[in-house]
Amino acid sequence: MLRRFINRAEENIIAFLLVAMTLLVFLDVVMRFGWGSGFLWSQELTLYLAAWFVLFGISYGLKVGAHIGVDAFVSQLPPVPRRIVSMLAVLLALLYCGLFLFGSWVYLQKIYSIGISVEDMRLPGWLAGLFSEPVAEVLKLDLEDPLIPLWFAQSILLLGLVLFSIRLLDLLRRIITGQSTGFHHVDEAEESMQLVEELKGQHPGPQS
Amino acid sequence: MTTATLFILLFFSMLIGMPIALSLGLASISTILLFSDDSLASIALKLFASVSEHYTLLAIPFFILSSAFLSTGGVAKRLIDFAVAGVGHIRGGMAMASVMACMLFAAVSGSSPATVAAIGSIVIAGMVRSGYPESFAAGVITNAGTLGILIPPSIVMLVYAAATEVSAARMFMAGFIPGLLMGLILMVAIYIAARIKNLPAQPWGGFGELARTGFIASGGLMLIVIVLGSIYGGIASPTEAAAVSAIYAFLVAVYGYRDIGPLKGVPWKRPGDSWAASLLRNLVQFFWVIGKSIRDPEVRKVLMDASKVSIMLLFIIANAMLFAHVLTTERIPHHIAETIVQWGLQPWAFLVVVNLLLLAAGNFMEPSAIILIMAPILFPIATRLGIDPIHLGIIMVVNMEIGMLTPPVGLNLFVTAGITGHTIGWVIKAAAPWLALLLVFLMLITYIPQISLFLPELIDHLKGYN
Repeated sequence: MLRRFINRAEENIIAFLLVAMTLLVFLDVVMRFGWGSGFLWSQELTLYLAAWFVLFGISYGLKVGAHIGVDAFVSQLPPVPRRIVSMLAVLLALLYCGLFLFGSWVYLQKIYSIGISVEDMRLPGWLAGLFSEPVAEVLKLDLEDPLIPLWFAQSILLLGLVLFSIRLLDLLRRIITGQSTGFHHVDEAEESMQLVEELKGQHPGPQS
Repeated sequence: MTTATLFILLFFSMLIGMPIALSLGLASISTILLFSDDSLASIALKLFASVSEHYTLLAIPFFILSSAFLSTGGVAKRLIDFAVAGVGHIRGGMAMASVMACMLFAAVSGSSPATVAAIGSIVIAGMVRSGYPESFAAGVITNAGTLGILIPPSIVMLVYAAATEVSAARMFMAGFIPGLLMGLILMVAIYIAARIKNLPAQPWGGFGELARTGFIASGGLMLIVIVLGSIYGGIASPTEAAAVSAIYAFLVAVYGYRDIGPLKGVPWKRPGDSWAASLLRNLVQFFWVIGKSIRDPEVRKVLMDASKVSIMLLFIIANAMLFAHVLTTERIPHHIAETIVQWGLQPWAFLVVVNLLLLAAGNFMEPSAIILIMAPILFPIATRLGIDPIHLGIIMVVNMEIGMLTPPVGLNLFVTAGITGHTIGWVIKAAAPWLALLLVFLMLITYIPQISLFLPELIDHLKGYN
């Protein structure tokens, strides 16, 4: 039940970010043609949404096997060496996460302590009004000019990598217990075949 | 030493099955840590910047989303009907119409295997029924499907633009004439083959039929006009055109054609309804469908499919930018270029090497991954030798097309094998004569840069830049 809820929420967040990005750029175009102006903050917001979309999405991508890779060599191996090689691959992937996690922790801490904010995105006045003086102090939010703090906007780097590492650890567990053989790379040819199946069910083809 | 570390780590990681994105990232970060003074914090910032500072990159998720909405079978079927009504009456016309349908579909979608799947699953059976040999039909479609990445908008071109920082709009302009040319070459070859083999022609349905099918297909065709028109005309950037096209594609698929979503199977005009009643009902449905789509399982599936591909590609690109950063700071392409110039290697000979290298790589890797690894290396060398970056981009894309037709990872071969139910070997044999045409085309593209550069230069000229 909880698992289903989390899965659903994860997909909803990703779909929301994609749709929000698309609508923002669309709105920007409409505003430019219709009124000859746009919102100052919309481009910055779009770019941050894109960053959240990708970095939040990589762990989802790992779950559904969306990441592409080369498996020509690994798939030729007999089962036991294949598992060992796959474990090595996952461990190296964890090393990747470890290095970037450390780097982003140090970086975000520095940003937080300096208290920089983003360039154009402001909290709406009523929302900023909800924060009391000490809370705003902790969040590094300037109540006079409520620009969103940079550490918050960029925190997805840390968050995304933590989620990604959790999924990698889970993959490692499943390889050790024999439930999985390794990274499952997406097969674009197979995906396209879904389309063929759909079409075969629908249309008889053009009449000759 | 640095170069060796970078490439050995990269190839080792890829060989043991790590995702390409992580292989690129790990090789780059390790090389930076071992050989330079950059801190981990600055590398982490660089990774974040590469997904959050490139507005042009956003064209990728938007085009993927738009093509996901339009890759439903209905659009393909309507484009095929239109193409058959247009050229079906010529000898070999069914096959020519299939090529034309592939070209049109390529212009609404950015993917090559999807083009083969959508068009091929309908027309191959259709051609066999009208008396074409099955291998002929399969061969034509497998090849024509590769136009998906050459005719703009093309995801592969956007990836090239991201890797080399050339203008995506100019890449889209440059791909237009080569795409038409390749389609034309295929059609002429089909006509000659049809004369020799005495293949059938369809009865001419009249201009009424052409207009009718054209109107039905206009939902898809208009997208081509909107996207290419606004980019070529300089009205909108590729990113903006892509966002508009995603919204438009959603409306066409869900409201216009009603192939998916809450209105699926609901007719525009019910029998017995008056025009006014239908109009009012459809007007209300327009707002109803937008609200209803939020929870619709089919719309949701399209969104998730598009998200998966976009996230995967953008994450590879982010890591590839780190890789490119290492290449530039270590001046690796610069050194290779120096060596090549010292050897006295001519530009034409360099292009032969480029073609061979890319054709070989195309046998093992995905087009986007190859471009992201190879373009940052080849691009500075080509510039040094006086080759236009846009021209190099088109050469790379055509090479990727051929890679889709050569085993073991030729995606189009697998799709055609899946459609026809034959073995990969059979498909390779069926596609081989047409593949030869594609190789001739590659030579044309490589040695006549004007084919690629004519349109972008003309548009520059019209706008008065030079």
